[in-house]
Amino acid sequence: MQKRGLLFYFNIYRKILAQDLKSKMSYRADFIISTIGMIFTNISGFISFWIIFKNFPSIKGWGYYEMLFLYGFSLIALTPVQCFFDNNWNLRNHVYSGDFIKYCFRPINIFFYYMSEVFDIKGLGQFVFGSLVLGYAWNNINLGISITIIIKLIISLITASLFMIAIMNLAASTCFWLLNSGYIMVMVFRFKDYAKYPATIFNSGFKFIFTFIIPIAFIAYYPSLVFLRPDDIPVLTWLSPLIGILFFYISYLVWMKGAKSYSGTGS
Amino acid sequence: MEKIISLKNVSKEFKVLNRREGLRGSFMDLFSRDYKIINAVNNISMEIEQGEIVGYLGPNGAGKSTTIKMMTGVLEPTSGDIIIDGRIPYKDRNKYAQNIGVVFGQRTQLWWALPAIESFKILKDMYQVKDKDYKDMMDLFSSTVDLDKLLHKPVRQMSLGQRTLSDILAAFLHNPKIVFLDEPTIGLDVAMKSKIRELIKTLNKEKNTTIILTTHDMGDVDALCRRIVIIDKGTILYDNDIEKIKSIFGNYRTLKVRLGKTSEELNEEAIKKEVEDMELKLKEVYPKAQTLHVSDVDEWINILVNEDEVEMIDVLNFIQRQRKIYDVRLEEISTESVIRKIYEGGLE
Amino acid sequence: MNTRKYLTLTRAGMIEALQFKGAIFSIIIGNLVYLIMIYFLWKAIFASVDTTTVNGMTFEDTMIYLVLASALFYFMEMYLVWEMGRDIQSGKIILDIIKPMKYPIFKFFQLSGNFIMFFFITFLPTFIVVYIVTYGAIHLDYNILFFLVSVLLGLLINYFIDFFIGTICLYTESIWGINIMKEVIVLLLSGATIPIVFFPEPLKTVVYYLPFQAIYNSPLRLLIDYSMPFSERIEILGIQLFWLIIMILVSGSFWKISLKRITINGG
Repeated sequence: MQKRGLLFYFNIYRKILAQDLKSKMSYRADFIISTIGMIFTNISGFISFWIIFKNFPSIKGWGYYEMLFLYGFSLIALTPVQCFFDNNWNLRNHVYSGDFIKYCFRPINIFFYYMSEVFDIKGLGQFVFGSLVLGYAWNNINLGISITIIIKLIISLITASLFMIAIMNLAASTCFWLLNSGYIMVMVFRFKDYAKYPATIFNSGFKFIFTFIIPIAFIAYYPSLVFLRPDDIPVLTWLSPLIGILFFYISYLVWMKGAKSYSGTGS
Repeated sequence: MEKIISLKNVSKEFKVLNRREGLRGSFMDLFSRDYKIINAVNNISMEIEQGEIVGYLGPNGAGKSTTIKMMTGVLEPTSGDIIIDGRIPYKDRNKYAQNIGVVFGQRTQLWWALPAIESFKILKDMYQVKDKDYKDMMDLFSSTVDLDKLLHKPVRQMSLGQRTLSDILAAFLHNPKIVFLDEPTIGLDVAMKSKIRELIKTLNKEKNTTIILTTHDMGDVDALCRRIVIIDKGTILYDNDIEKIKSIFGNYRTLKVRLGKTSEELNEEAIKKEVEDMELKLKEVYPKAQTLHVSDVDEWINILVNEDEVEMIDVLNFIQRQRKIYDVRLEEISTESVIRKIYEGGLE
Repeated sequence: MNTRKYLTLTRAGMIEALQFKGAIFSIIIGNLVYLIMIYFLWKAIFASVDTTTVNGMTFEDTMIYLVLASALFYFMEMYLVWEMGRDIQSGKIILDIIKPMKYPIFKFFQLSGNFIMFFFITFLPTFIVVYIVTYGAIHLDYNILFFLVSVLLGLLINYFIDFFIGTICLYTESIWGINIMKEVIVLLLSGATIPIVFFPEPLKTVVYYLPFQAIYNSPLRLLIDYSMPFSERIEILGIQLFWLIIMILVSGSFWKISLKRITINGG
């Protein structure tokens, strides 16, 4: 028997994804309605943002385009969690109904198997929307384009998304221990709406909390400093890729521990 | 024969919150730390050989599911040892999973939106089944069930029967040494039930797969199992050959006779009198037949006869000499009633 | 009308809500964190302008408005669309339809236990804290009566909007898409995330002609704006009542028409 390495998992994911997309295409109405729903969410988010700036020209020295940059950046950073880890939302129901047990009998990593089951295609709409916003802001701030800055952008986007994935993993895994923990996910998911504001609006105590305890400041604020405040980049920004990986790994361990302690309700 | 499954003094305890009643009780539960311990499985042991089909029976809440979950590695026993195929199931679940298959009736493990064949292909990769083995297995499948009709339909559009069928095939696909079937025929019609039993039998014979079957349907047991294990309140009540258990209850059969044609002739009072009369007379003639018992059901008179004590034909002859018999039937004691007798404490 | 059978449902709902300790604590904590975030955000926003009032609202007014809006949201949000969607897909809805009371009424009373629990768990504590912290800013006299009546009307309007959207699930499988659209529209246009007075002109007028502002904005205005003349208060309640009747008629008849679909097509 071969060892199941990265390539093995990549292949499996590719096959499941291809099949899943094929079957999704056959439910076109559902696909269209979900996409419209996603567009609605983004537009409404944008309108709220716009209304605030209609009344207030800047927030703590952050101008309109800089805020727009944060906004677009956070939307892109939130795409992976939407596309690849959306099955976290169903975890509670699977655990509650006892259906989660079916994931326990396969000879592959259970976290991978569980997440591979759902690919949420509507996240791509968010990606497009976020890219447009980011591009518009980028252009107006005159950041310019070079290979170094693109590499920086990609690394910081990946880092930022790791944080959100980790937050959602942790929130979802609470259902292994708590009944009806859906509220926790709804609550945590709501936090992400505040990721698009600069962390400087908080006082030092809460800045600490949103950096180290509920690290939403890493989703847009810290990575954006590389581009918007290049003369004054804090150490945390440089460390954020490492912290992101570590945080993701911790969330994975907690999730796996939950899955292991799962015993299945009902008989 | 090689012992593939061995359970030694296995127990499992659960901690549950003591819930209180009513609105006030629910309020108090919010702050309660009042837990009680439940022994779901209590010191059970058993050994199973490669290729056996074992019926694992018990009333609801007896501890069946808990045992199965421990055997599949989902639950860790509180105490005792489980060794299956040389491994400890809950340790290193991934490797262990390679050699087992699991089916839960009514809970599909296939990809809901995909046609079964695509699920099979993914499973083939997941279990790293070789092309040739996969092909052989598919050939075997198609020789027992009508695969073409099954494979190209998305699982969500299948009937419950088709889904169960696909799930069973999927569980055998990687040729596991052991397959756990949890109520595979639940909710199915008679034709589908027999189809599924046939399939399980064939796969067991062809691949020498060990099968643990839990069910409430004695039809499954009659069709598939030679050996049954009965559990209740967490302990094993019986573990042996199914024929042997029937003999524990003696060599019983029921003779049913009808002594009239019309409803008037068969009125309740007349029958009641007849029943008393007949039991007295029979016991007088056959003094050895002390467990002989006469009763009435609807318009029939039932005589429960232990054939170790008296021959059935003698009883029939005796009655015929006394009365005119219009109709007669003979019934074996069924697996159903044997199991019921055990649940009700018949073994104590 | 035999009220007993309805009150039994209410009581059962309250007991059910209490089964989930984790959920209750997480709602309280989640609400708290959310409030902290909006506090800092709006503080920063107001700090960026020279004037103390924007669109006639001070920082304090805005905070009271948003905090109470969030608290109202928690106790009015009933996840009815999800529940109906799931019941429709699983076919469980049939069991509720054949119950000896009208389905919309049955569902309302089933959820009413939740309303009551969450009123006491989220709204009341939040209100008391806000009242004490901003002592003097909220005037408590007969406006509290208007407020309570208005909350009840808002709750009912919200329920029937949800019920209408839930009924759509009879026609499509895309519960997620339908629900997110509703949620986004209601949250934005009801003034739950940004007070409606901040909305720029044409949008503001449009919003005032829609039913959504009658859910959160109406009761909050009645509570906060203590200088409001009596006639205007009556007018607000009148508009709410108007929308409630419209929503009852619309959802009621939509449900009736759709129900025929179930009974004819067998779901």
